[in-house]
This record gives sequence, C-alpha cells and structure tokens, in this order.
Amino acid sequence: MPKIKIALLIALLFSVCILALFLGPRGINPLDLSDIDRTIVFSIRLPRVLISLLMGMALGASGAVLQGILRNPLADPYILGISSGASLFAAFGIIMGFSFIGTFTIPALAFTGAILTGVIVGIIGRKKGGIWPERLLLAGVGLSFLFSALLMLMLSLSSDEGLRRSVLWIFGDLSLSEWSRIPYGSVFILAGLLLAMTRAKALNALILGDELAHSLGFSPHTERLVLFVSVGLMTAASVSLGGMIGFIGLLVPHIIRFFMGADSKVLIPAAALGGGVLLCVADLISRSVLPPMELPAGIVTAIIGSPYFLYLLRRKNVLSI
Amino acid sequence: MSSAYNPAILELGNVSFSYTQGSHVIKDLSFSVSSGAFIGLLGANGSGKSTILKLSSGILKPASGTVTLWAKNMYSFKHKDRAKLICYLPQTLDITVPFRIQELVSMGLYPYDVPPAMAVDEALELVGLRDKAQAYLVDLSGGERRRVFIAMTLVQGAGLLLLDEPLANLDIKFQFELISLLKHLQEERNISVVMALHDINMALKFEKIMLIKNGSILGFGSPEEVLTESEIRNAFDITVTIRQHPEGKAYVYYE
Repeated sequence: MPKIKIALLIALLFSVCILALFLGPRGINPLDLSDIDRTIVFSIRLPRVLISLLMGMALGASGAVLQGILRNPLADPYILGISSGASLFAAFGIIMGFSFIGTFTIPALAFTGAILTGVIVGIIGRKKGGIWPERLLLAGVGLSFLFSALLMLMLSLSSDEGLRRSVLWIFGDLSLSEWSRIPYGSVFILAGLLLAMTRAKALNALILGDELAHSLGFSPHTERLVLFVSVGLMTAASVSLGGMIGFIGLLVPHIIRFFMGADSKVLIPAAALGGGVLLCVADLISRSVLPPMELPAGIVTAIIGSPYFLYLLRRKNVLSI
Repeated sequence: MSSAYNPAILELGNVSFSYTQGSHVIKDLSFSVSSGAFIGLLGANGSGKSTILKLSSGILKPASGTVTLWAKNMYSFKHKDRAKLICYLPQTLDITVPFRIQELVSMGLYPYDVPPAMAVDEALELVGLRDKAQAYLVDLSGGERRRVFIAMTLVQGAGLLLLDEPLANLDIKFQFELISLLKHLQEERNISVVMALHDINMALKFEKIMLIKNGSILGFGSPEEVLTESEIRNAFDITVTIRQHPEGKAYVYYE
C-alpha cells in the first residue's frame, strides 16, 4: 500500500515538473518549439524547476526528520537557526557587493553561514556526550533571534537597492536559478536525504523516546547526531539555492502523515516528494499570476498550503498534534 | 545452591550512581536476577526504583561498580546484541505520533537482521490485541497501550523485561490482567520480569520483592520475609497492619 502511494507521488511529481516547464507567463507548445521557446525551457525553466524540486524535497524531508528527533510537531528546518545564519551571511554578501566567485558567491556564503550555524547549534546542544533535543531546540531558537537581530541591523543600515535584493533573497527567490547551482545543490541534498532514509528505523525509535530507543538497540545520542547532520546538509543546501521558503518543512510532513502514516521509512521519502510537488506548483503560480512580476514562492506555498492544512485539520482526526 | 542450574542473567555489583555530583542516589548496590525470576521492586517515591532499572538496562552508567548481563560486562555488548537479551519499558509512554499498533509492535524486530521466531501477529494474539493491529496507539486505553509495548518486547525476544511502574494509572482490572499476562509469559516462556511498583498489596503477589529506601536494599526475598510491618514502616514512613484473609492470604491494612 505505501509503495503504491509513493509511486503515485512520483508520478504526480513528474507531471507537475512537465507542466511547470511548459506553463507560465509564456505558454509553450512542447510539440512545436521555436528557438526562443527552447532557450526558455532549457536555460531558464528547467534549472528553475529542478531547483524548486530539490529545495522542496530538502525542506519536506528535513521537517519530517526534525519533528522526530526533537519530538516536537512544531519543529521545522528553520527553527534551528540554520536559515538565519544563511540569511545573515547572504545579506552581508549582497549588501557588500561581494562577487569573488561570480554568481556563485551568495549561495556559497549562505551555505557557509548555514553550516557554521548548524555546527554552533550542535556544539551548544551537546552535553554529557550527547545531543539533547531541548538543548538543541533552545540553542537554535536563541541563535536564530541573535542572527535575525544582526540581519535587521544590517538591513537598516544598508542602501535601498541592497535592502531590496536582500529581502527578496530572504523571502525565497527562485528567479535567479541557474544550472551552475544544481550539481552542488543536488549532491548535498541527496546525500542528506539518503543518510536520513538509511536511519529511518532509528528515527522511529527516537520518536518513542530515548529510553525505548536504547532498549530497541540504538544509541540515541549517536543516531540524533547523524540525523541532525542530514538535516543540516539538506537545509543549508536548500537555503543557499533559493533563500527561505516557509510552510513546506513544517506542514508537508503533517499532510503526508494524514495520508501515509507516521512510519519514517515511508514518511521521509514521501515528505521529500510532497515538498518537491508543492514547491514546483507554488513556483509555477508565483511566476504566472501577475506577469511580469513574480511573487516570492514562500508566500505562495503558505497561501495555498495553509488553508488546505487547516481544512485537513478540521476534517481528519488529527492524531499527530 | 541451585545457581549452577539457574545462573544469574543480570548482576549488579557494588553499584553507585548520582545524578549530580556529591549526592549518591544509589549507594553500593548489589543484587542478581536469575533466569525465570519475577521480582517486584518496591519503595516510596524517590527511593531509586527507576534509577535501579535504568542502571540495570544500561541506560545509565554507574559511577562505580559493575553491571553484568549473562556474565559479560553490560557495556561491552553492541547495542543491537544487548537489545536481544534485555528490554526496558519506561513509566511514561506518551507517544502522540500516529503510529499503528502493528507498526509499533514490529519495531521489536529492529535489533535483528534475520527476524526471530515470534511473529508480530502471534505477539498481538498473546496480549489480546490482534483485532486492533491497524488501530492507532492514541485511540487505545491505558491498559491496551501497555499491552502494545509488552507485545513489542515479546517480538524483541529479550529474556529479561525491566518494567518501570507498568501498573501506574491503570485501573485495578487492567492491573490484574497485566500481572497475569506477565506471569503467564514467565511460566510459558521463562521470561524474567523485574518490575517497579508501589502498591504493597500488589507486591504480595510477587515471588520475590526487593524493598528499596534511599537507593539501598532494605530487604530482598519472598514477600513474607521482606514485607513485615516494621520494614514497611521503615520504607514508606507509614504505620500498617498485616492481616490474614480468612482464606489464608495476607494483606496490608493501612491505619
């Protein structure tokens, strides 16, 4: 049964990707491609679709893992401050006009900020040789506030253009998607995803609590550390690809649990696929509704996702919250 | 004695432990559990029952002393190998994630690469929950939830169950049901049970009682030996009278 549902999700993902390639401000007939159409599809839309797919997958899977290791249904990939660290570094680069490595500069800075923050949160979250959920969560929230404050300070001191570009980036801007970002993005995101999927049993055990996880033959602290590393990789890569996109990491895992249950072996890949589908659709909408203007994709995911989630919350017997 | 035929499967030797530096919760504690034992760990709140179970299961490491499982240092086992021998169920099992009963009980197979003989269905049958395999944990009563985790431990196949206050928050019917289920498992499958509890009358049903106060053993033996009026007063700081039921069974009368 779960296999059929996963297969359906994969089919849905493919369909959405195909639609996203040919629909948009300029409708393209796949059977009759002009040179301009070809450029639009292969140089602009395909990298954008792939990046939204990768980001959505990273956020959905990270959310599913984090809610488990922190034993908190409200956890999302941004709660650990990783994204705030990424935003701070990226905004600093944008405002200072850095470009040591061309268009790659800002994503590289964001990735560095995210990984550094992840390491700091991990170090603060450690005590007596283990990573403790509450410490990790509070360290993340604390650091998040600090970085947000520094970011606001920096934005308030910056020029109008720096401010505008930084804010756009922070809210999730997929319009800058290009092929060069895909190799590194996919390596980190797929590595994190595979790592999490191989530890699905351990994640199930951690959800039952550290003592039961121990009794079932796992070392809770080691498993939590490994899963935290997988979340760190996925979140850092995702934020550096296209900024912060809300909703997906928090609510996609819950939506998937409604339909496919809580077993992490199914939940992690399904939340990844669900996140990919949602961000592809959201991005398609964000560039289609008010052309030539683009809405930030994060706003669209929240506007279409939240009402659906609230509807499910009313209709289904929500067991996970 | 009979130890050659009934070796200790768990042994704590001169174990001391403290959560914070200085104040020992457990002081120089030694005891052993032999195969097929059915032991009640009795003591007031804060006497150290839970800590003793956590030290016995390897969750907590003693500051000094030894913990041996099947004559081998507890900490020399690989996690998965240890999990095949010993199982610990905490007192609170507050799991709100919507796992199905079947999924939870199957988690007992996690320590194994090749699944052991006890099938998930068989374990559910034994605890009387076969028809609820597809139900969600949160939809079950407190007594049923306990039985789900007992089924998980059966699938896990460990010969020693350490249960922390499994009777807490269960009404009296479920308490008796759980005790008789565990007795059945002990008799039929030679599973050893060590269980923390605080109801003195329930403790009278155990083969052996370990009475705990301030992290030390006041007495370890049959209920008749250990649960005297003076020892109960010492352990719980209450005055009781032990009376004899007309049919011969003893019970504790609280003043």
